[in-house]
Amino acid sequence: MANETVDTAARRPRPPALALPTEGLWANRKVQVALMILVPILALTALAPLLPLQAPLETNLRAIMQPPSIDHPFGTDRMGRDVLARTLAGVKVSLLVGFSVATIALIAGMILGTLAGFFGGLIDRVVMTVVDIFLAFPSLLLAIGLVAIVGTGLIPVIAAIAMADVPRFIRLQRSQVLSLRSRPFIDAARTVRASKGWMMTRHIIPNTVAPMLVAGSIASANAILVEASLSFLGLGIMPPAPSLGNIIRDGQTYLQEAWWISTLPGVVILLIAFALHFLSDGAREELDPRARK
Amino acid sequence: MTYQSDLAPTLLEVRGLRTEFDTRAGTVTAVDGVSFTIEKGERVAIVGESGSGKSAMAMSLLRLLAHPGRVAGGQVLLDGRDLASLSERALNAIRGREVGTVFQDPMSSLDPVMKVSRQMVEPIMRNLGLSREAARAEAIRWLDKVGIPDPEGRIDAYPFEMSGGMRQRVMIAMALSCRPRLVIADEPTTALDVTIQAQIVEMLKDLTAEAGAAMMFITHDLGLVARFAHKVAVMYAGRIVEFGPVDAIFAAPQHPYTQSLLRTIPSVDATKDTRLPQIPGIPPDMRHKPEGCAFRARCAVATARCALEAPELTARAGDLAAACWVEGGLRAAPQALEPRRRVAAPLDDTRVTVEINNLVKHFEGRGFLARNRRAVRAVNGVSLRVRKGETLGIVGESGCGKSTVARLLLGLDQPTSGEIFIDGLAQMVFQDPFSSFNPKMTIARIIEEPLAVQNWGDRASRAARIEQLITQVGLEPAHLVRYPSQLSGGQRQRVAIARALALNPSVVVADEPTSALDVSVRAQIINLLADLKADLGISFVFISHDLLTVRYISDRIAVMYLGEVVEYGPAEDVFDRPMHPYTRALIDAVPIPDPRLEAARTNAPLRGDLPSPLDLPVGCAFASRCPMATAMCRTDKPRLKKYRQSQEAACHYAK
Repeated sequence: MANETVDTAARRPRPPALALPTEGLWANRKVQVALMILVPILALTALAPLLPLQAPLETNLRAIMQPPSIDHPFGTDRMGRDVLARTLAGVKVSLLVGFSVATIALIAGMILGTLAGFFGGLIDRVVMTVVDIFLAFPSLLLAIGLVAIVGTGLIPVIAAIAMADVPRFIRLQRSQVLSLRSRPFIDAARTVRASKGWMMTRHIIPNTVAPMLVAGSIASANAILVEASLSFLGLGIMPPAPSLGNIIRDGQTYLQEAWWISTLPGVVILLIAFALHFLSDGAREELDPRARK
Repeated sequence: MTYQSDLAPTLLEVRGLRTEFDTRAGTVTAVDGVSFTIEKGERVAIVGESGSGKSAMAMSLLRLLAHPGRVAGGQVLLDGRDLASLSERALNAIRGREVGTVFQDPMSSLDPVMKVSRQMVEPIMRNLGLSREAARAEAIRWLDKVGIPDPEGRIDAYPFEMSGGMRQRVMIAMALSCRPRLVIADEPTTALDVTIQAQIVEMLKDLTAEAGAAMMFITHDLGLVARFAHKVAVMYAGRIVEFGPVDAIFAAPQHPYTQSLLRTIPSVDATKDTRLPQIPGIPPDMRHKPEGCAFRARCAVATARCALEAPELTARAGDLAAACWVEGGLRAAPQALEPRRRVAAPLDDTRVTVEINNLVKHFEGRGFLARNRRAVRAVNGVSLRVRKGETLGIVGESGCGKSTVARLLLGLDQPTSGEIFIDGLAQMVFQDPFSSFNPKMTIARIIEEPLAVQNWGDRASRAARIEQLITQVGLEPAHLVRYPSQLSGGQRQRVAIARALALNPSVVVADEPTSALDVSVRAQIINLLADLKADLGISFVFISHDLLTVRYISDRIAVMYLGEVVEYGPAEDVFDRPMHPYTRALIDAVPIPDPRLEAARTNAPLRGDLPSPLDLPVGCAFASRCPMATAMCRTDKPRLKKYRQSQEAACHYAK
């Protein structure tokens, strides 16, 4: 078709290196919506210490279970702590978990998936057997089990959730590598006697990064929800340190008298998860034009 | 009873058809005011390159366009009824019943999970009002007509159980079985081999004539047009630039585009000492269509007026109509003689660059059970030599093992047995340059890769070498910062050639290097390869099914059939005096872009399909399709023997 033969002078040069279609990304409606939600939340979280709020752990027994007001926009809890301050501190934990899990899963999945897909044989069989065993468990159940073994706290939670996500990333990366491996440009590299390492780092990996990043943003949303679930169950971040999950758990008992303690942090989780899903959806549309309807 | 419409000669009249595609980059006018008529029983060929709008036009007639496309204006009158304004429901009654369609790829247009019988019988029942049994008998009759052996049995086969040629026959049987008055065939033979293509074209011609159906045949192959059509419409950038009877178009074309297109094709008897005439430049980007005549940038006789107004079709001599402001087209300008082809240094017969001895490649089957583990015998004992500075052409149909030989030469696959000696380095030019480039690399890095892998020189000397290479293949250093997607097909193939030359190879293997390119840029690439051969003194192995091109570029030709070389010799000798019956059949099947020559040929197309490489015959591999085969051929395998001075053939009856 006409798009094969292009008046080259009229085309703008594309960004180099990973060649992610960044311009299309910013123009995508879903990405814009996601950013409209994420940027204010991120800004508030970063600026939390500067805001005229009580410290997240500071109690005030003269103002317990106050409804939302100017002083306490999200109200206060049963110990008179400011729910907004605690929520923002919890968001910080959530984002930290989401980002760390996605990064670990991405890097581990990339390395193991590439090796398994490219070399095949024994390494492929070993890696994929382990992956299949892990994939047989629901990720929350797996995380609960791992936390039960390793213990609670931020680092164990990140490790447990990442453990559950890595197999999925290995799978994705391996399937991408398998289809790239049979592409003619790999043959073309072989005809100039390129080494396996050369082919993996110059040809295979750069062509797999974009879909992996999309998967990463979904994984981070998932990790945030799993962390909240773990903390809600009392297996994640331990009180009094705030996490969205344990704030909601605290407020659950008082849902009748003080709805704001659970509800408002819950809405924040919802918004973050929603925005991350929108971000990955929009990114996928830009990377794969067929996904667009 | 006679209808008014039965008396009128016109079947289809298209008036001012416009088709637009709404893309993100804006609206693309793929078909820009096309008008023509097809008379009853007439075969009209629509010729054009990719992007000329020929397929979009055909799809628009029945509103079969995929999503972003839509018919934006004009009328499609079938017997006076305007199809463009019919409801979807009314149009559905016409599709299949009155207008049949045959598409390029039969695998994707047949439902893979439905038996052929189900796909054929129900439309026949619906359209002809027959009972199930009668419709089935009718379907079997049509399968028999299109040459499917054992039609009663094969009607219950699934599409994947048939070869490509068989599937295309089924498509044709489906299209014709409801007795349409018009058949639209969009590149129906492009995916097929020449010998199968010849069979299909012959059959389509006979069957439509027998049924009295008219036919619209879309193709980029001018040779097929000469063999097949009554009238020809040449499309360029969404418009018909020339229309008229086939003889007149080939004898005295009026539009500069048609004229140059006909000149770029290597002819059967041409001398090889002149360069192929080539059309400069590339077809216009339909998203930024130029003002005025779209061809003017590539036209030798363009005037100031061409930049301002787009010419309409106007009548010319010989019943032709051409859309050009310059009367006579290129004949208006004094014709420059094609420069002589640069002559290669005299061949040094003693130095052999490539020697292949008794090469065998069997691919093991992946079957789980032992009985399924039959090997595909792709290459069965091939011996070839390529001398220094010589071009060896390898021709044959798909599945003959020519591409496997190329992969073995490059070390991409390991031979089962046999030896390959290469004096120096072998490099490859792939068929589709787009997929053989990493899309995330710039042109500079693509060309640099062989140098970088081999740690050739330092950064500065590599940059200088890249610049030298890119100019050597006729591109600008400015192209180096681009990505493959930003170049045209021809430019990409130039980059592929530059990359192949980077390490100063002694032999370059080119596997179908021009078949993914538009007709008008093929000649550019062939000329480039011929120049490089003369300038650099390297050997080429040129693999193609395009026999005219192979003849033009090669010094020697090897003809392969089912993994064996059946004939070998100097290019002209093999072409002009073929010794093996397969070579003769192959040459006979090649359409010649000249309707008078075509009419004079006695084309008895080769019958049947290639035997499966899973179980090869004991005797001569070609015996099952050979008109001369005897009992001896089926039991004794003929060896490649020298017959004339330099020609070799593997046939018991070669003289």
